[in-house]
Amino acid sequence: MVCVFGCILRFHGVPAEERLHWRSFLVKLGSENLKGSKNEELHVASHKSVSIVYTLIGDVCLYIVGKDEYDELALAEVIFAVTSAVKDVCAKPPTERLFLDKYGRICLCLDEIVWKGLLENTEKDRVRRLIRLKPPVEP
Amino acid sequence: MASGQDSSGTTLMDLITSDPSAAPTSGSGASSQPPSSGGGGGSVGSLLGKPTAAPADRKSKRGTLMQIQNETISAAKALNPPVSYAQLARSIHELAATCDQKSSQRQLVNSVFPKLAVYNSVDPSVAPSLLMLHQQCEDRNVLRYVYYYLARILSDNGSQGLSAAGGIPTPNWDALADIDAVGGVTRADVVPKIVDQLSAESSSDDVEFHARRLAALKALTSSSTSSSDMMEKLYEIVFGILEKVADTKQKRKKGIFTKQGGDKESIIRGNLQYASMSALRRLPLDPGNPAFLHRAVQGVEFSDPVAVRHALSIISEIAAKDPYSVAMALGALQDILHLHDVLARVYLAKLCHSISRARVLDQRPDIKSQYSSLLYQLLLDPSDRVCFEAIHCVLGKVDNSESTEDRAGGWIRLTREILKLPEAPSVASKGVLSKSSEKSSKARRPQPLIKLVMRRLESSFRSFSRPVLHAAARVVQEMGKSRAAAYALGAYDEGATLQAYSDNAESLDSDLENPMAEGTRKPNPLSNGHGGMDTIAGLLASLMEVVRTTATPDMAVTLLEIARIFATKVPGKIDADVLQLLWKTCLVGAGPDGKHTALEAVTIVLDLPPPQPGSMSGLTSVDMVSASDPKSAMALQRLVQAAVWFLGENANYAASEYAWESATPPGTALMMLDADKMVAAASSRNPTLASALTRLQRCAFSGSWEVGPLQMTIPLLYVFEALGNVRIRIAAVQALTTIAIRSGEPYRLQIYEFLHALALGGVQSNFSELQLSNGENQGASGTGLGSLISPMLKVLDEMYRAQDDLARDIRQHDNSKQEWNDEELKKLYETHERLLDFVSLFCFVPRAKYLPLGPTALCNYHVLTRSMLNCVDSAKLIEIYRNRHNISASGGLSDPAVATGISDLMYESKEAQKETGTMQSRIDPDLAMAWAAGLEDDVWANNAPAVDKVKDFLAGAGTDAPDVDDEEYMNSRPSVGYDDMWAKTILETYDAEEDDGRYSGGSSPDSTGSVETSISSHFGGMNYPSLFSSKPSSYGASQQTIREEPPSYSTSVLQKRESFENPLSGRDGRSFGSNEDEDKSSGNPQSGKALYDFTAGGDDELSLTTGEEVEIQYEVDGWYYVKKKRPGRDGKMAGLVPVLYVSS
Repeated sequence: MVCVFGCILRFHGVPAEERLHWRSFLVKLGSENLKGSKNEELHVASHKSVSIVYTLIGDVCLYIVGKDEYDELALAEVIFAVTSAVKDVCAKPPTERLFLDKYGRICLCLDEIVWKGLLENTEKDRVRRLIRLKPPVEP
Repeated sequence: MASGQDSSGTTLMDLITSDPSAAPTSGSGASSQPPSSGGGGGSVGSLLGKPTAAPADRKSKRGTLMQIQNETISAAKALNPPVSYAQLARSIHELAATCDQKSSQRQLVNSVFPKLAVYNSVDPSVAPSLLMLHQQCEDRNVLRYVYYYLARILSDNGSQGLSAAGGIPTPNWDALADIDAVGGVTRADVVPKIVDQLSAESSSDDVEFHARRLAALKALTSSSTSSSDMMEKLYEIVFGILEKVADTKQKRKKGIFTKQGGDKESIIRGNLQYASMSALRRLPLDPGNPAFLHRAVQGVEFSDPVAVRHALSIISEIAAKDPYSVAMALGALQDILHLHDVLARVYLAKLCHSISRARVLDQRPDIKSQYSSLLYQLLLDPSDRVCFEAIHCVLGKVDNSESTEDRAGGWIRLTREILKLPEAPSVASKGVLSKSSEKSSKARRPQPLIKLVMRRLESSFRSFSRPVLHAAARVVQEMGKSRAAAYALGAYDEGATLQAYSDNAESLDSDLENPMAEGTRKPNPLSNGHGGMDTIAGLLASLMEVVRTTATPDMAVTLLEIARIFATKVPGKIDADVLQLLWKTCLVGAGPDGKHTALEAVTIVLDLPPPQPGSMSGLTSVDMVSASDPKSAMALQRLVQAAVWFLGENANYAASEYAWESATPPGTALMMLDADKMVAAASSRNPTLASALTRLQRCAFSGSWEVGPLQMTIPLLYVFEALGNVRIRIAAVQALTTIAIRSGEPYRLQIYEFLHALALGGVQSNFSELQLSNGENQGASGTGLGSLISPMLKVLDEMYRAQDDLARDIRQHDNSKQEWNDEELKKLYETHERLLDFVSLFCFVPRAKYLPLGPTALCNYHVLTRSMLNCVDSAKLIEIYRNRHNISASGGLSDPAVATGISDLMYESKEAQKETGTMQSRIDPDLAMAWAAGLEDDVWANNAPAVDKVKDFLAGAGTDAPDVDDEEYMNSRPSVGYDDMWAKTILETYDAEEDDGRYSGGSSPDSTGSVETSISSHFGGMNYPSLFSSKPSSYGASQQTIREEPPSYSTSVLQKRESFENPLSGRDGRSFGSNEDEDKSSGNPQSGKALYDFTAGGDDELSLTTGEEVEIQYEVDGWYYVKKKRPGRDGKMAGLVPVLYVSS
């Protein structure tokens, strides 16, 4: 699974030489389709066997890319987990500034949601606990 | 140290590295820092010109601040020097040394670590400090970051910029080394230290720190998997943990019941299970290792949903390689059906698929059936994701590498298999289905898979969510692929049509395989992204394939719904021809009752409101048209045009009203000259056709499309609009003409009147109720339709005139008791042929059956000739002429020149057609030109293929003539009573049958071509959505479609023979026909039983009552030609019925 996130880029399983292409492809996709899009309205695209789900949250474009078992629907779940984590961290739809201020925490969230290219935790509470170094289920 | 970023990076960098306190910490409520503290706040404050006010105001102030801040980022940039990577690294070292102080911790968490995250890799020289923090610091937030960065150091494989993490490139480490306090630390130095420290931690059993243990384990899995030492260590740790926590069968029960309240021990065990299973999932698969599989199988019973998901995903991956051992190791999986985790159930579907398809398990059908039943149950899963995965699995799709056989088998499974839910009480008690009890009880009944799938797709296509729509579309695409595979292998039909089907399948496949190529030539409006249209193009084709095999009314309705959604939601995404095909399929599939509905669905498109500019509200309603830019407006317009055309082409079929099969009693038509009465009569007799007519008339008139503020606001769009309107009107007029030609009275007269009025202009008074006051002159002069209408009127004029002449002649002959002589008949025949040609230029009509001279059945005149016993109409007269001509040409019955005579006739008729073809353009070249010019392109001049096709058509039509002769011979034979002629007919029948064979088999592209002709001559110039156009390969499928479906009228004579019969010749003719059918049927007919009631929707269809025994003669494209044992209530013995209605 590849997860691209605003200025954070998380490429899992994408060859290094393709990353730039992916990046520009996604940027183009977003600039064509996200303008005027509603907040958190999901868009879908696909390229060969790869699915892309992307959305706009606040000022931030969010792209989730995946293949095989991570199809549109699974990616929609991932993007939902990510947006809710972002909103949780930023307390509202983020502006660019706010997003960058919370950047570290958002990275931690992502780290919990997608772990080595595989979807891990999608529950908000679980993610929230894990980024504070608490166990996923508290005794 | 200057960090060399590219331009995009600079902004980011500046934002990140500007003083953090420049931003008020408006975020996380947990933060104890007051907002607007520090120098940065001051700078913003100074820009505001006011200090921060009272707390009550703070909220709004903060909003203002945020806003202003965005604007003053550049100012802030100038004020705050950026923080470089080197500075960050240095502050980590400094703060690590004082990590016991709260302030250092705060600084680390709030500024240093977050900024460090921006860089795409972390320098190993910070590792010692991180490790120090790891050992000494106790603040959870700091530690979390420490684990995060340690993991990143571990995952770096040495070369910069290649890690999974992106971001700003980290400056060269070597350059950093000299300013670094630790200096000269390499990755090779630190990694073992990190690994040791983390392994020690993850192996420790201290309950208090088990959260850290989880994090350490997680960080460890980031280390590169290339080193075998590392792997061994990891396996050791993971299996060590699993050893302790996994094997807890007895205790687990307790865990389930006390899950939420939970004793501490079992919760901690659950967490450890989760962490170790997640770690195991990240390790390379070790299929040969029984311990690996054993632990994974144990994992299925863990209490943590994520752990179970990973366990199942491991198992399903192993099962793909070694299904046997997995099947042996696994126990009952029924409980997993109700797992909370969606992905877990997805993996379960994959697992079931691999096991149920495994060859090695052929000896154990019990296991296989158990797993396939599990898979089928997943079709009922509440999650779309799981259901779709299950459908993919049933269809035999695994990873695109599966063989055609697998796919074909998948299709057969999907269409044949039935889901029987086992009587497991647990299903009902805690099952996910128990949402509504009656639903679950309904779902418990055995159900055919295809039904479940179609129902699911139907509901999915109603979804507002793009991912769901998209995924459902892909499911349909896969269904199409599997079906194509099934046909390609001939697994689905065993008959003469095999070849055609495999062609079909190939073209379908090629269609699906190059979705990108298709996508590029489509308009590209803003919603749905690129992918949407790639699949939509292919998916609808597949959808139709599905429906065509399984043509039941229910599915047709579903499809219509889908078509409607596509047409309204994403007009730019759907090709008009695809939509038309879809409609057509539905029309055929919908059955007699559904036809009206199907036509209604088409008219919905006509009713679409003009696109509203700037309606950006997205998918708020299914019916809302998302056409917010000129491109989609154009696309929508094309759809409307297509709808109009479709109405014209198919209204007659839908209404079962044909001039050549008219239900109107002969003679009544001529009496209904009063227009008002006529309309009333028309609508009372055939509401479907009447409503279609009204709709088209309205379009031809005003086109509800012109109205709207759109034109004022977007001038560009206005041009398109206006253009489109003319086009829509043209299409509407053309459609009306088609209907007029094809319909019997009174519809023809009604349309004639209407067109006439339109041509004259000033029709407002007559049709005032149809007006939508758009303030425009609606006469033909305003619409520019006059020149277009005249040729159409001309046709109708000619037809009526010829009819009048005929009536007059007949009367004369009658009065003078005079027989028709050859000359007169010849004249009549020529008129007939000429009109037929004329008409054929406008639309396709079955030449054999169409009587441009009208069904002027004057039954009093049966004294005229010996051979005409019952009726005199144009058909009979022409037939007589043909007969005589034939006889005179052949000279004698035993004469070997019979065949030559026929060929002469063919030649002659060809000649005649060519002649009339040219004659026509000679007669009214102006009109013809006007027609062509009206289409805005020189159809005749530029569109050479179209002309060729016309010629082909004419040539091909010539071969119809002998068929017609034979038909007529057969029909008239009992009454004619020429015994010698009968003998001859038999002789000829062989020829005719050969002809037939060629006609329905090899030469059928010709008949397609004929349809093509009429359409391309109408629309070729307008870039009309090319339903039949000469797009070569990819639309092979659609051409096939045309040929196979009733509305195309390219009647395979074989099937239509029944309907050819003279109703008055009675049983004789019929039994003759069926005898012939017996001759034709390929030997041993299959017997079957009617599963449902079926009402015939056309002459060639056969009504069935449930339970009736029938003999299946052959299958044509989703329909069986069946014979009953005895005639049904309607007296018919044989006909077509949908395949699904008959058990074979």
